[in-house]
Amino acid sequence: MKAVFTFSLMTLRMLFRRRTLWGILLIILLALAGIASVPSFDVSNQGRFILDFGLFGIEVGALLLALGLAATLYPRDRETRTLMPLIAVPLSRWQYLLGRFLGAALIQAAALLVTCLGLMLILLFHKLPIPGDLLPATLLIIVEGWFLLSTVFFFSFFTSPPLNWPLTTMLFIVSQMSVAEFVGLLPSAPGLMRAVRMILPHADVFHIKDPIAHGFAIEPVYFLVAIFYGLCYSAFMLSLALAVFRGRDLK
Amino acid sequence: MADAHPLQVKDLSKQFARKRRLGSVQAISSISFDVRQGEIVGFIGHNGAGKTTTIKCVLGLLKPSEGGVSLWGSLPAAPVVRKRIGYIPENPDYDDSFNPMEYLNMFASMRGLSGLNSDWMKLLRRVGLAGWESTGIRQFSKGMRQRMSLAIALQSRPDLLIMDEPTGGLDPIARKEFREIILEENSRGASVLLSSHILSDVETICSRAIILSRGRLIAEGSMDDLLGQEHLFRITVISRKTGKEVEEIITEADLQTRIDSMRQDNLTIVKIERALKSLEDVFMAATGGSVK
Repeated sequence: MKAVFTFSLMTLRMLFRRRTLWGILLIILLALAGIASVPSFDVSNQGRFILDFGLFGIEVGALLLALGLAATLYPRDRETRTLMPLIAVPLSRWQYLLGRFLGAALIQAAALLVTCLGLMLILLFHKLPIPGDLLPATLLIIVEGWFLLSTVFFFSFFTSPPLNWPLTTMLFIVSQMSVAEFVGLLPSAPGLMRAVRMILPHADVFHIKDPIAHGFAIEPVYFLVAIFYGLCYSAFMLSLALAVFRGRDLK
Repeated sequence: MADAHPLQVKDLSKQFARKRRLGSVQAISSISFDVRQGEIVGFIGHNGAGKTTTIKCVLGLLKPSEGGVSLWGSLPAAPVVRKRIGYIPENPDYDDSFNPMEYLNMFASMRGLSGLNSDWMKLLRRVGLAGWESTGIRQFSKGMRQRMSLAIALQSRPDLLIMDEPTGGLDPIARKEFREIILEENSRGASVLLSSHILSDVETICSRAIILSRGRLIAEGSMDDLLGQEHLFRITVISRKTGKEVEEIITEADLQTRIDSMRQDNLTIVKIERALKSLEDVFMAATGGSVK
């Protein structure tokens, strides 16, 4: 595991030095500031509005970070031939995949925590209370971000980055849909649609922005189950990615 | 497995599927050879002859369609054998955001080596990168990236060095330095598989050569055998088109037939002399090329 750890740190440092991270982070923070500057018609709802849209902004930020950080990692490694000396000697393919994933996941988590801090500062600026569940809610978005990251890795082994963006975004949108909404896409085959929806990820479990905005308490066990689900689905997507990667010839 | 050769390739074939219904391309066909302990083996062939494909199969980057590869009797994927290999890829490149020292430290950690910065400084000095240890790789020329690649390959004091066009694009001085380092590594006990287009380099340092053409192994042997196995003659004739002298290298077996055909074509033969064979002559004769 030392090789994986070293390689993940190498990935983290590499991504930290790229402008992509800082660009996306700036966009998310500007979007949060923009949301906070929208005047609410009802002053008592200002906090709810900022929290609801702020957490939504962070969630979209998780998608942007996953795509921006990881969609080009493997294609770029292949194109620049950086991959060859790595895979030929010190790393096996699973170590490469896990190292790249862990590095990207750590930097994505750090960036999302910064955006959470940004949201807290906005709330303080508006003299609004910071809900106790804001940090756990961000933690769930981080886990969702890891799931998105693993999806980006999966697609990156057989598509180009321009195709990875719409594919991952589509899966992101579909994963937010309820069973009823999904069946509504093809009402003539409800059984099939229900079965497909069962297999597809349920990212809606990571969304607790509405209860938080409305001041409802979230049971700790819910967080644990949601995190466990997110980690299991990420591991599943990474296993699929590894299966594709193992079958690839590195010409 | 202690007595197994560092590298054994047996009946190796690789096909690449083409897109849509264009069938497949046979990159290499039933290639068998080995690299024995302490040898420097030259691996030569035209562009597209299958050298890089063979090397990538050896390193596990490509899956063979048929046949197999063993390194000290084990599969290429085995971690125990991968630790014993140093690899220089063709046109190496590294992430621009790092400097050589950072790269060497990271590779050392991934390989489980316990070297210090001072060890890597010595290594960088050895490959001609002294003073560049803290400079970002984005500022490196192609030759410097190749030196960087050599440093990474030598870092673990490998038992088998696999080099894919390591001196392509290097200036003569750098090529000489590369050759000297290869010889030093060999005298330390490392075996070397050297793929190169620069036949003079192969001829100078290799004890054996393997010639590939169109994915097939067409000649193999010790350098002495390859250079001395047949007599060659150089015929100089006047070209009817240009009026200038043109040379042609021909084997002793074909000599009389070629002279007769030249006479029939009314070509003026200026001289016929015994040619000292170079690896280039052997390569040209083996691959059906000619020296003009």
